[in-house]
Amino acid sequence: MAGSEAHGPRAVRVTPEDVRRLCEFLYRRTGMLFDDNKRYYIDRRLVERIGATKSESFQAYFAVLRSDADHEIEQLINAFTVNETYFNREEHQLRCMTSDLLGNIIRGKRPGESIRIWSIPCSTGEEPYSIAIWLMENWRLVDSYNVEIVGSDIDTRALKAAAEGIYGVRALMRLSRDVIGRYFRPVADGEHQIDPGLRESIQFTRANLIDPSEMARYRGFDIVFCRNVLIYFDDSSRRIAAENLYDCLAAGGYICLGHSETMSRISPLFRVCRFSDAIVYQRPEADHDGR
Amino acid sequence: MPFVKRAVPAPSPAGRRAGDDVAPHNDGLEPHIAALGSPDIEVRWKAARALGGRADAVRALATALGVEQVARVREAIMTALMRVGDEASVMALLPYLRSQDAAERGASIEALQALPEAILPFMAPLLADGDSDVRLLATELARNMPAENATQLLCRLLEHEHHPNVCAAAIDVLAEVGTRDAVPALQACAERFAGMPFLPFAVSIAIARISDTDR
Amino acid sequence: MTDVERAATSSRRRILVVDDSALVRLYYRNTLQRAGFEVEQAINGIEAMEKVLAQPFDLVIVDVNMPRMDGFSFLRTLRRAAADVATLPALVITTEAGEQDLDAARAAGANFYLIKPVSQQDLLRHAAVLSGAPA
Repeated sequence: MAGSEAHGPRAVRVTPEDVRRLCEFLYRRTGMLFDDNKRYYIDRRLVERIGATKSESFQAYFAVLRSDADHEIEQLINAFTVNETYFNREEHQLRCMTSDLLGNIIRGKRPGESIRIWSIPCSTGEEPYSIAIWLMENWRLVDSYNVEIVGSDIDTRALKAAAEGIYGVRALMRLSRDVIGRYFRPVADGEHQIDPGLRESIQFTRANLIDPSEMARYRGFDIVFCRNVLIYFDDSSRRIAAENLYDCLAAGGYICLGHSETMSRISPLFRVCRFSDAIVYQRPEADHDGR
Repeated sequence: MPFVKRAVPAPSPAGRRAGDDVAPHNDGLEPHIAALGSPDIEVRWKAARALGGRADAVRALATALGVEQVARVREAIMTALMRVGDEASVMALLPYLRSQDAAERGASIEALQALPEAILPFMAPLLADGDSDVRLLATELARNMPAENATQLLCRLLEHEHHPNVCAAAIDVLAEVGTRDAVPALQACAERFAGMPFLPFAVSIAIARISDTDR
Repeated sequence: MTDVERAATSSRRRILVVDDSALVRLYYRNTLQRAGFEVEQAINGIEAMEKVLAQPFDLVIVDVNMPRMDGFSFLRTLRRAAADVATLPALVITTEAGEQDLDAARAAGANFYLIKPVSQQDLLRHAAVLSGAPA
């Protein structure tokens, strides 16, 4: 190139064909579709990740991505999705829970029986608390059954924060002022803390989705929220985790994935169920022979 | 608060409760292997899961796979074999490439695809198999291999392959992982199938993906 | 307008293309889109089921050989699903044309089949007929 030369590492060039190759790979691997509208956004993040992995070319980076070294697939996806966790993050699934799932679940239960709901990974607790609050605000039968909510994560620091239940305004942005007033009290620095009664109602535990002996402690769950984690496991771990979750669910129990996740990339063990508010998956009520 | 908080049982110590799926290496092999033959679906499922990754169980898992009718138990057996990932487990899975059942073929591909190193020694014979369906499925196994290996194997296939669908399958994998070394074989393929639907298109896309990349 | 609303009000026929090969899907998509169809894609029967349940389609074109849920399993699941979805016309793409394969396709609930590799003319002709597109 004529003119002044830049010194330092050579800038890696990413061509439209490279991006197509990348998008085809990501679609096959995760089910996420990046159409032409989103391509520009990918270009920039891709160049960032090429730099972050110190790859000398797109080819070299693509090899890293394909081998998923250091969880690069997750790192790349995280680079262009919004990841913050907040209350009522996927409200349509909560709606589906009260509009459809619970109705089906209680058909097999007598009043007073347990309904077990699991949030795994629960991170810093927004999800299990959201479930609890949503049920109290929207399910008229919440007092008629023994509803048990468990929140689990592999990260003990996140669990500690979850048990503490202190959140900033951003996490509460989807909640109305009334709801905040009913379940939180203000604490220092403009933050809010979940009321002690609610905090004490949720069981927080450490659990690893891939560890069968840890997962053996969890049985008979009617609904599991397992969002944005399965898709990032390797082939073998995805299958093990899916089999573990199958065992943790009651027959006919439901599992909800992240909004851009699909069982098609994870496991054939579950039935696809469509409801007005969401597509969820179900452990079949019974096995059938053959196919 | 209307919610019930019940303690989740602590993880049980080495003396496990009967029927728990576990994976300690000091757990007795025989009870699980015997359980693989149980008439009870749940018992077979637990047995398959308990034997995951155990190289000494491969023969029993392979036998069980041959007779298992329930889909989820078949899946669990394949997972167990996949977790061993050695030559014996590859050999246990390979026969299902020839299955008449599309679901069985798909399941075996999925398991084998996750074992690119273990499957490598089998690739040349698979890609030269007399059955075109087997050759077609085998191309898929190259997808998770390093680019150089996949390219070499699939180019060798393309040079001699006459079945258009087998070529199409190889071209699809090369579009994702092929290196520049694949271009001559791809071009030759396009010429050989110039009159056929789809193949010239597939080659043009694969070459575009491969060629227009920074070096 | 949501995707589903847009799909329901569009006068263009909507086709779901299901094949685990990216190149095959691209080929079908290009051919069908140029002829005015709206096209979505899926790589196996599970994803196809998810999409068919989530959005309206006029035709599904499905390959027999796919991992995790093959074409026949998908068709059987489709035909047992809710009424609005169970009658979706299905064009099966198979590599074999033996009696057994055609019987299997019919038994699984296919409306028609084609043999790979499929020509653009065959694809368009059958897509038009099966999706009920105007001649």
